[in-house]
Amino acid sequence: MNNLQKKTSKPMLAETQPQIATLALTNLSLTLTDKTILQHVSLSLAASGITCLIGPSGAGKSSLLRCLNLLQKAWSGQIEIQQQDIRQWPAGEDALRRFIVLIAQKPAVFPVSIAENVIFGLSRKQRKTNQDVRIKTCLQQAALWDEVKYRLDEPAKNLSVGQQQRLCLARALALQPKILLLDEPTASLDPRSKQLIEASLKTLALTMPVLCVTHDLEQAQRLSEKIIFMCDGKVIETADSVTFFQQPLKLESREFLRWSSCDCD
Amino acid sequence: MLKIIRFGYLIALFSIAALLWFLVVNTWPFWAEFGLSSLWLDEWFPYESLYGLLPALVGSAWVMMIAMFFALPCGLAAAIVGSELLSKPWQSTLRLSVEILAGIPSVVYGLIGLWILLPWLQNTFDLITGHSLLAAGLLLAMMILPTIMVMSLDALRFVPQEQREAAASLGLDWNTRLITVLLPQAWPGIRSGVLLALGRALGETMAVMLVVGSLDKMPSPIYNILEPAQTLTSRIGREMGEAAFGSMHFSALMANGLILAIISMLLSFMVLRQRKAAQR
Repeated sequence: MNNLQKKTSKPMLAETQPQIATLALTNLSLTLTDKTILQHVSLSLAASGITCLIGPSGAGKSSLLRCLNLLQKAWSGQIEIQQQDIRQWPAGEDALRRFIVLIAQKPAVFPVSIAENVIFGLSRKQRKTNQDVRIKTCLQQAALWDEVKYRLDEPAKNLSVGQQQRLCLARALALQPKILLLDEPTASLDPRSKQLIEASLKTLALTMPVLCVTHDLEQAQRLSEKIIFMCDGKVIETADSVTFFQQPLKLESREFLRWSSCDCD
Repeated sequence: MLKIIRFGYLIALFSIAALLWFLVVNTWPFWAEFGLSSLWLDEWFPYESLYGLLPALVGSAWVMMIAMFFALPCGLAAAIVGSELLSKPWQSTLRLSVEILAGIPSVVYGLIGLWILLPWLQNTFDLITGHSLLAAGLLLAMMILPTIMVMSLDALRFVPQEQREAAASLGLDWNTRLITVLLPQAWPGIRSGVLLALGRALGETMAVMLVVGSLDKMPSPIYNILEPAQTLTSRIGREMGEAAFGSMHFSALMANGLILAIISMLLSFMVLRQRKAAQR
């Protein structure tokens, strides 16, 4: 337990870093059990704004996100945040995951109260300072505060799927991350929840880069300034949103848009 | 088909009722004569009509506690290693080994106790024979370890992978993930395993009888686990052959059996209640 306390009370790297982070991938490749998942992926993220990662199923989008916060470690190549190789992250991989937070497609709330879920990732020391204010701010940022403010002590499992997804967002925001990774954050959500999450993301993207995997091309158009199109583990095209949806350069991109039922105009 | 199932169900119900009836009827002369006060009398000497149940109750309690003290941390640690650290082929190998361990007859454990454990205790603690509560507890710990381990392993594997990844994504280190996410969610299953193991520890006769010493006296002082002692099961196992059917001695031994049955039923009831709570 002493070891645990030492680790959790260690100051987070995120707190010592500059506020805005940039992310660069060079030649990222991933092969799992003889199957190539990612091939020489190179891309970079701006210091703020939403970048949407789109492509057919099995293109390697989710795997790419998992590589970025080291949930998947079997990759080769280089990933740098502010010119710092993430494999040599000074405070270790746990600190990196607080710096670059991944929110999964399926909301995974812990079997504790709503309020406890929000502060679940914080150290004991962090929990002691301004706990109530922190919970309120994070829930507001995730557009959930108005719906749960009178039932913060209720089990988080009682929330709807859409609310649980926003709670996961609030929980991630409590860590004050500098980069946000989202894996289909609004898949299987109702239109109202989708709208609320999108609004939150737009606000958050003013101060941090957000990389969002989505199959919803309309959403990608609404949200992002930049689109990265992936297919078969490769980045096929990177373009600003308007250009990509109106005049895609690559044949694969055009095919993908043609097969999608999205109204791209 | 439904009729056959209903008939089987009725037979099962009837068997349980018959068992309880048999125990109550046969222990009735003992309870009528000595009452519940025998529960806290510490002398058991049937030839002088002394039937104190306390030494065996204390012996059983000590043996269960010692067994749990060693088996719970070891079983839980093995389950955590099996579930969180080993690759899938090694997990299967571990599980198979433990299941084989669970299938070994208890008399074999008793013989291992006689040949290995007793001499070791005798030499280590400078005892006369090594027969002791500690020997019985250690042997039972080996016997209940597979139950605790397999149930804990299943409980840990039942925690969804999304929960593990969500905790890792929040930058929680391995220890914190284990303590705050995995163990709390697996706890109902682990607790069921502990209760089932306690039930087995309580009911185990042969192995315990071979190493406990079967001495009908209270440990002196009460925490001296290096003394030979008696448990409810070892007393029944050792003396039933000597007791004439229908005698007071026979009735007193059946009273030991009734106490065992009641405690076992309580443990099963607790397991059942927890399963229902977990399902809710």
